Amino acid sequence: MFEKLSKYLIPIAGKLNNNRFLSVLRDAFMLAFPLTIFGSIFVVLTNLPFLEKIMSAGALANFKDMFGIASSATMGIMSVFVVFGIGYYLSKSYEVEAIFGGAISLVSFLLLTPFIVTLEGGEVVSGVIPLDRLGAKGMFLGMITAFLATEIYRRIVQKNITIKMPPGVPPAVAKSFAALIPAIITLTVFLMINVLVTQLFNTNLHDIIYNAIQAPLVGLGSGIVPTLVAVFFIQIFWFFGLHGQIIINSVMDPIWNTLMIENYEAYQAGAALPHIISKPFMEIYTVGMGGTGMTLVVVFAMLAFMKSRQLKQVGKLAVGPGLFNVNEPVIFGLPIVMNPIVIVPWIIAPMVVTLVSYFAMSIGLVPPPTGVAIPWTVPFFINGIMATNSLAGGILQLVNMVIVGLIWFPFLKTLDKTNLIKEKEAEKAA
Amino acid sequence: MKKILLACSSGMSTSLLVTKMEEYAASIGDEVKIWAVGQDQAKKEFANADVVLIGPQMSFLKGEFQKDAEQYGIKVEVIDMMAYGMADGKKAYEQALSLM
Repeated sequence: MFEKLSKYLIPIAGKLNNNRFLSVLRDAFMLAFPLTIFGSIFVVLTNLPFLEKIMSAGALANFKDMFGIASSATMGIMSVFVVFGIGYYLSKSYEVEAIFGGAISLVSFLLLTPFIVTLEGGEVVSGVIPLDRLGAKGMFLGMITAFLATEIYRRIVQKNITIKMPPGVPPAVAKSFAALIPAIITLTVFLMINVLVTQLFNTNLHDIIYNAIQAPLVGLGSGIVPTLVAVFFIQIFWFFGLHGQIIINSVMDPIWNTLMIENYEAYQAGAALPHIISKPFMEIYTVGMGGTGMTLVVVFAMLAFMKSRQLKQVGKLAVGPGLFNVNEPVIFGLPIVMNPIVIVPWIIAPMVVTLVSYFAMSIGLVPPPTGVAIPWTVPFFINGIMATNSLAGGILQLVNMVIVGLIWFPFLKTLDKTNLIKEKEAEKAA
Repeated sequence: MKKILLACSSGMSTSLLVTKMEEYAASIGDEVKIWAVGQDQAKKEFANADVVLIGPQMSFLKGEFQKDAEQYGIKVEVIDMMAYGMADGKKAYEQALSLM
């Protein structure tokens, strides 16, 4: 039965993985990744809990001001990198000049952005770009604009409506002339759209897209039910030996990342964190305890309590990588893939634990992740403390691991027994 | 010199296997170059490889990779699941040899 199901799943996985737009989106977020990690380091440093005790209030504020720019210039304007990244990678996938695709996307996005800020008193300041438009708030408009702008740009280039320089002209000069007509046409389109929206409807596309698309989608994604559905499918894909995150995250990442930046913006402003579910929640509280399915505790159990050679050997092999949240040895060595004995704990344990984490955070027992990005290879406990800026975040992971261990134990024991019988038979036969 | 390319999502989990395969190849006196890359990098490396092995979690890449690999006359195969999970360098290396 599993074999049959897997025949259906493999093409789906392949299509999602190879979909041009989804893989461009994945690469664009990867472009922002090192930058957000850099910003996150300084968010963590300037918010260390003991600073309040060793510094005066004035000195601490000064300290935060000095280093605050590190995250404002990266996470605070994440949409800029995503927009540029989409333009760049989408152009590259069509084999047209990629750097211009990135630049044209970025300008198209800025053309739709209001260069004014309305202060609380109603006073309008012009000649400035509101930071949040380039952060979480502009994320979806940015993504949509980048895809549209690049599609227009590459079509014009591919139709060969470009200025061609005679041979002998330096390539950099020839390239910028070749991009001239496609750039002017694409940017004119977005300029006109902005003129229409601002003049006819007296609003801007930022607000329209935010209210019509981003807020509902992100609101949906921040709920526990869609999150459990996502966890369920990730586990199912892995059960069939397919990389679940690569497949599911390519769809969910825009939402989870937006939630992360919204949390970060609130955290920096000293406000209450608006979301429990976010990218760090998914990474730290579903993968960050030994890899997908939180298998580190399963590995410990194999080493401590299991008797069959097979399980002991997998345990030894898996414990090192598991500390850094890599668990392919467990998934393929135990194996989890297509193994009917372990399908129940494999799917149930992460869902139960996700629910527990969500509950602990919603009643205020544990603070939700602050929105700092932690590389997924940071070991458990440490990553939990870093993500929530609280010891409780690490303790929650320990509790989670105990739960996972309890759910797994009877199934692991059964597997161990079957293995022991097989191993004895093999010895007799030899 | 046998050149074996391993590909997975980011090149991280297959790199575990690389060391084991190298050790085994050295133990039987074979001269090899074995390296692991992420899926985005993989196609660019086809020209330098004698055979391409994919991590089982990325098995859905096989069809797409095969088309490209044909140009270079090399074979693409998914690594045996158990060999991959147990980081069995011998088994994976023998699988690679059987495809060259």
